[in-house]
Amino acid sequence: MKKTISKYYPLIPVFAAYLIMFIIGFFMPGMWQMVALLAFYCALGQSWNIFMGMTGYVDFGYVTFIALGTYGMSLGITYFAQYEWLGIGIIGIGIIFAMFLASLSALLEAFIALRLRGAYFAIACIGINEGLRYFIEGAKIWGGSEGLIYFGALVQALGRGTVNQLTTFWADFSVFIIAALAAFLNMHYMRSKIGYALTAVREDEDAAKVMGINANKYKTIAFLTSGWLGAGVGAMAWGLKLGYVYPGDVFVIHYTIECIVVVLLGGAGTLMGPVIGGLIYGLSKYWLAVIMPGFQLLIFAPIIIIIIVIAPEGVVGLLKSKLKGTKLEMFIE
Amino acid sequence: MIFTLLAGNLTHGLLLGGVYGLATMGLSLIFGVINVVNVGHGQFIMVGAFVTLTMFTALGLSPVIALPAALIIGMALGFFFFYTVIRRLIKAPELTSLLATFAMGILLEEIAKLIFGADFRGYNWGLGKITLPITTIPMSKVYAFIGSVVIAFFLYFWFSKTRLGTAIRSVMEDSEGARVCGVNVGWIYALSFAIGIGLTVMSGVLLTMFIPVGINPYMGGVYTLKAFVIAVLGGLTSPYGAFFAGLIFGLIENGAYTLFAMIPGVAPFPLTVSLAFWMLFFLLLVKPTGLLGK
Repeated sequence: MKKTISKYYPLIPVFAAYLIMFIIGFFMPGMWQMVALLAFYCALGQSWNIFMGMTGYVDFGYVTFIALGTYGMSLGITYFAQYEWLGIGIIGIGIIFAMFLASLSALLEAFIALRLRGAYFAIACIGINEGLRYFIEGAKIWGGSEGLIYFGALVQALGRGTVNQLTTFWADFSVFIIAALAAFLNMHYMRSKIGYALTAVREDEDAAKVMGINANKYKTIAFLTSGWLGAGVGAMAWGLKLGYVYPGDVFVIHYTIECIVVVLLGGAGTLMGPVIGGLIYGLSKYWLAVIMPGFQLLIFAPIIIIIIVIAPEGVVGLLKSKLKGTKLEMFIE
Repeated sequence: MIFTLLAGNLTHGLLLGGVYGLATMGLSLIFGVINVVNVGHGQFIMVGAFVTLTMFTALGLSPVIALPAALIIGMALGFFFFYTVIRRLIKAPELTSLLATFAMGILLEEIAKLIFGADFRGYNWGLGKITLPITTIPMSKVYAFIGSVVIAFFLYFWFSKTRLGTAIRSVMEDSEGARVCGVNVGWIYALSFAIGIGLTVMSGVLLTMFIPVGINPYMGGVYTLKAFVIAVLGGLTSPYGAFFAGLIFGLIENGAYTLFAMIPGVAPFPLTVSLAFWMLFFLLLVKPTGLLGK
């Protein structure tokens, strides 16, 4: 029994970090928005990491999941807000829609991954993302390029008080939950048969197949998990919180890049990496926006390049090699 | 009537396609030789556009002179980025090179914004028009097309007839084998990257003739994505394939636009772009070697 629990020790610092963030945001006035932003980056990094860290596939179109999650929530609210008896249940319907859309695109990407690897896979995923975006705009489905605006419908269905609470607290709180869930699933996969199978596939797919590992099954599991978590973040942090959605706002490759930067700063394929990366990235973005508005990207771009060149293994990679052989080792993953 | 319209638009598409082809050769060359997908590709096109604009409006020099200037600036940028960043990432996993080239693109965008501001700017190189029975074409577009065909031909000649070109092709085929035969592979990597970027910046010069709304620092992203589609059409590692794929893409783009415009209730422009990406997606799945590949 002790063995099974000690497998999960590396989760302790991660959960502790989330708890501290939550307490700071909840009890210190004026800090909630910043903490919510940090949680957003941590959750996205963590979700992206399940995909990339475990399968080795670079999903450059990951923002598709976030965008579809946002659309799922928007559609749920837009089309079901008129049924009054549903009440708060429309949020549930939104989440179901988000998960459904995310599953479809995760299965599509898993299908691509059967045939393509590396740069080809990355380009194909960008293709899906842009293809979807322009299809929504071109065919004028789901409001076309004008998007969906449903904040009013939400207020009408649930009342202003409830909506205020939902958008200012519960939307951000659920991002925390998703971040914690992502960390747990990541750890669970790493220490279970799924993780071992995926490691084998990542290192040498052909050899793994010869050994009788059903590579496609495990890859699909990882893709689906990662997609669901991403869609959850989108549904909550964008769909529910903002009350509108435009295709040009959500299908933006820059958000994928932010996920990658978060993961790479912390350390790709590690558990703590996305948390550390999310904190560093979120805080410095917030801070730069305050002291030098408009110049964040000009400063960030060279920093990204320098990190890639100097420390591609990230903060956790450095920590791991520093703490090797000490008692703290088992908390780092 | 509709056929006249279609034929006219296809003519414009062919001219634009030639420039698209040139704009993609650099991407394919770089991917073919050093196996790095340049996600910041479109931003180098933007650099070319601003080189043209600056020379035209500030110095009064014609875009014809901007071409060699763009080549020199592009190659300088190429060598700079190669020796500072790319050299260390050639053998690294794709994740790092994709992110690094994207960051390079952002850096260029932000520097351009710092110098030129974020507004749209344009210029008009008035050289008169030719009137065909089906359509009217500005001469500047014709010159841009001729320019890109000439440059593509020079590249072909250089590749197939000179020692250095042969060396690059040998590294494309098999870098280990080339090294054994005495090719300085490190130098070939640097040179191909620089030429790839140089070509891209040059294509930016020619592309400005086709942009009626003017240019701004963020114009590049669209061309990165278009260049991906074209490169995949052409087989991703073949510069000539990319040139012909560019012609095909120009025709498909303008043809599809004309046809989509006849469907009521849809927005034809985004639908055309969407078609391009679905095409990319299916081609990658069905025939990753490209339309012209083996």
